[in-house]
Amino acid sequence: MLTLESVTKRFGGLTAVRAVSLEVRRGDLLGIIGPNGAGKTTLFNVIAGYYRPEEGRVVFEGRDVTGLPAHAISRLGLTRTFQIVKPFGNLSVADNVMIGALTRLQRVRDARVEAERVIALCGLGPHAPARARALPVGLRKRLEVARALATRPRLLLLDEVMAGLNPSELAGIIDLVRRVHAEGVTLIVIEHVMAAMMRLAQRIVMLHHGEKIAEGTPAEIAHDRRVIDAYLGDEFNLAEA
Amino acid sequence: MTRLAPDRWAAVALFAAAAATPLVTRDTFMLDSVILILLWGSLSAGWNVAGGYAGQVSLGHAAFFGIGAYAAALMSARHLNPWLGLAIGVGLSIGAGGLIGYLSNRLKGPYFALSTIAFAEVLKIVASRWRGFTAGSEGVPVPFRPGFATLGLGHVAWLYLILVLALVCYALQMYLERSRVGYQLAGVREDEDAAEALGIATRRRKVQAVVLSAALTSMGGSLWAQYVGFVDPSHVFSIDLSVRFALNSIIGGMGTALGPFLGSLLITSLETYLRATFSGIQAGFTGIYLIIYGVVLILIVRFAPEGVTGIAARWRTRRDRAHA
Amino acid sequence: MDPARRLGPAQIDVVAQLAVSTVLLGGIYALIAVGLTLIFGIMRVVNFAHGEFLMLGMYLAFFAFTLEGLDPYVVLLISIPIFYGVGWLVYVLIMRGVIHASHNVQIFTTVGLSTALQNVALVLWTGDFRVIRPWHSSVVLRVAGTAFNLSQVVAWAVAVALTIALFAFMKWTHTGRVMRATAQDRDAATLMGIDTDRVYRLTFAIGIACVGAAGVLVSPLYAVYPQAGLQFVTLAYVVVVLGGLGDMAGAMAGSLIVAAVEVAGSYVFGAAWKEVFYFLLFIGVLVFRPAGLFGQRGAETLGA
Repeated sequence: MLTLESVTKRFGGLTAVRAVSLEVRRGDLLGIIGPNGAGKTTLFNVIAGYYRPEEGRVVFEGRDVTGLPAHAISRLGLTRTFQIVKPFGNLSVADNVMIGALTRLQRVRDARVEAERVIALCGLGPHAPARARALPVGLRKRLEVARALATRPRLLLLDEVMAGLNPSELAGIIDLVRRVHAEGVTLIVIEHVMAAMMRLAQRIVMLHHGEKIAEGTPAEIAHDRRVIDAYLGDEFNLAEA
Repeated sequence: MTRLAPDRWAAVALFAAAAATPLVTRDTFMLDSVILILLWGSLSAGWNVAGGYAGQVSLGHAAFFGIGAYAAALMSARHLNPWLGLAIGVGLSIGAGGLIGYLSNRLKGPYFALSTIAFAEVLKIVASRWRGFTAGSEGVPVPFRPGFATLGLGHVAWLYLILVLALVCYALQMYLERSRVGYQLAGVREDEDAAEALGIATRRRKVQAVVLSAALTSMGGSLWAQYVGFVDPSHVFSIDLSVRFALNSIIGGMGTALGPFLGSLLITSLETYLRATFSGIQAGFTGIYLIIYGVVLILIVRFAPEGVTGIAARWRTRRDRAHA
Repeated sequence: MDPARRLGPAQIDVVAQLAVSTVLLGGIYALIAVGLTLIFGIMRVVNFAHGEFLMLGMYLAFFAFTLEGLDPYVVLLISIPIFYGVGWLVYVLIMRGVIHASHNVQIFTTVGLSTALQNVALVLWTGDFRVIRPWHSSVVLRVAGTAFNLSQVVAWAVAVALTIALFAFMKWTHTGRVMRATAQDRDAATLMGIDTDRVYRLTFAIGIACVGAAGVLVSPLYAVYPQAGLQFVTLAYVVVVLGGLGDMAGAMAGSLIVAAVEVAGSYVFGAAWKEVFYFLLFIGVLVFRPAGLFGQRGAETLGA
């Protein structure tokens, strides 16, 4: 569904992403891990059209989308969320999600129905009329996912949706991600919360200093020497994290 | 984003009252006041499309106003059709609006505001110096030629004509509140990056908003020129005017359909009242109400940034909660 | 006059004259711009009312001269503490409340202040153009074929002195460093125990003191009227944008460039069109290099 061919992104003298190649098939749930500054969000930015790569191609559903503007890519069915959530603060939760629904739907009436469906799916029902700005961080993350979901993406890029959540919120989000995946949405998930990643992801890719240094199933990754070194520099069993 | 019904009732009341005025009185002072309230309301509504709904705060809208004013005035002065002048003004303003829209995509917040100020200033200077075309700083008097085609109308006719403009502006704003375009604009206003991620062509939308805003303002300018009868470059392109368009919307409620008209009602009434009271003292008077505007602006953005409609909404919520 | 004679020494004279005019003008613009760029760089607020304080400085000099016979350069000494106080007051009463507010709120606050101040002047002192002519404004110095008047030179000298003093203050004193730190990252500054409110107060007061002093300095050179500030503030913005908002050295360099454009433009096209030039320059810079000639790419978004 999505193919990255040797994507490289440079900022002046700094190479944030170096020759990363990736393949995601329909129905996958791919995890991307890596220490801070590894280039994970930059990679998302390239895929989603916020950055244009210096080298390489991004191919989505057989179509070269490299360098297309972000809004065009979103309308093709590829939506991303933001690591630091960006809710439409002064608008209600319902309106936030509705704007997402309006990506594919032309009529406000239809969008409202779709928004309600997504809000229910994401457990935001009781908060629908509230102003997005007033939500605590856990619900904001949910809103971020809900809004992205409302765009009816075929491929959804989730950027650290679990960061900063307490254990019960975490359980809720993991459940949500599973349900979204079950609905048929292909997912690429950036995460630092290892336990969650190990449980959710079918395959994991590790980035370090902008390069892909490992790829495999969670079990393979947990025992991969390079992964352990990159994160911790010494002996540590990631599967127990 | 669903407007509470009270706002709509207030708007209906406002426009109905305006429409009914000639039935109640033929006093030119009253009619003139209503016309001005509606006209400034419309102009502020035009500004609101870009500033309130799209979040592109411009302090140079007098540029479009002046273009419209000059277009109509110069056509009339040459004994041509001022409606054609209005159309030409709209065309030119759409072009200028495109330029400003382009700038809005390159510049953020205060930088954008600065560039709009500069733009209006350039037009002011050009109009003031271009003796051959615009009669320079002397201004252009608009000859009164009776008839609809020549926009030489009596007060009652002007009132209804301007009311039509006001209704168009109000309706457009309502459209922006409940339509897909409007929701997308709200997204652009709130967070451009997030809006892009949701498939909204933010750059294009901003330009569209600014261009529409420019066209509306230009129309108002053309009609104003024909109504008032004289176009003076240092007035029609002045920053005071630009601030005033914004002021009405802010006081009434930026980003609401009723806001600009409510703000205009308050401010224009205040001004008319002051003018009537202080009619003897010339320059002194002009300054006083502008001082008040300045102070009001400072207070409103600090303490009631959502304007009167916002205050009313909050009051209503509190009242409803108390009764619940 | 023999055309051949026109071209020789007269040509060099013209260039020299233009150069001198540029420098003289540039120094004054620098003083105005430096206050503005300081306020933006540290407080991240675009002060739309900056020109009005200049106008007030001009009026102060005017009344001191007309009523008490005080020479503007004497008034300068008291104007600095006066405007420092004014800046302090305006910060405490108005600016402090909006420093953490959205851009729109800040824009309209200073725009409202600008409108109010302009019209206070209009109501109190009418729109009549006032002029003061102290003895030095009619003294013409001639050096190497260029001519300029004493007022211009003194204004320039004082402006440069003040600007350099400010620059030195920012660079070498502890307070200056504290202010620059706050400009870089206000959150980090707070975490380091810096009282940002005090920094902002200081910044605004200094910025207003500069522009008020500039107003006093230019009072013998320009007509005094309520909207006098407008012409200067717009070019101050051009300077500040050229030099990069927040960059003091850039503001000084930008002043020279703007002065050069104005002087050359006036010479070629006539003084009437000079304002068009710096507006075009302004829009041009905003579009092509919004971070200024010396700023880093994208720095203009840092203000957000």
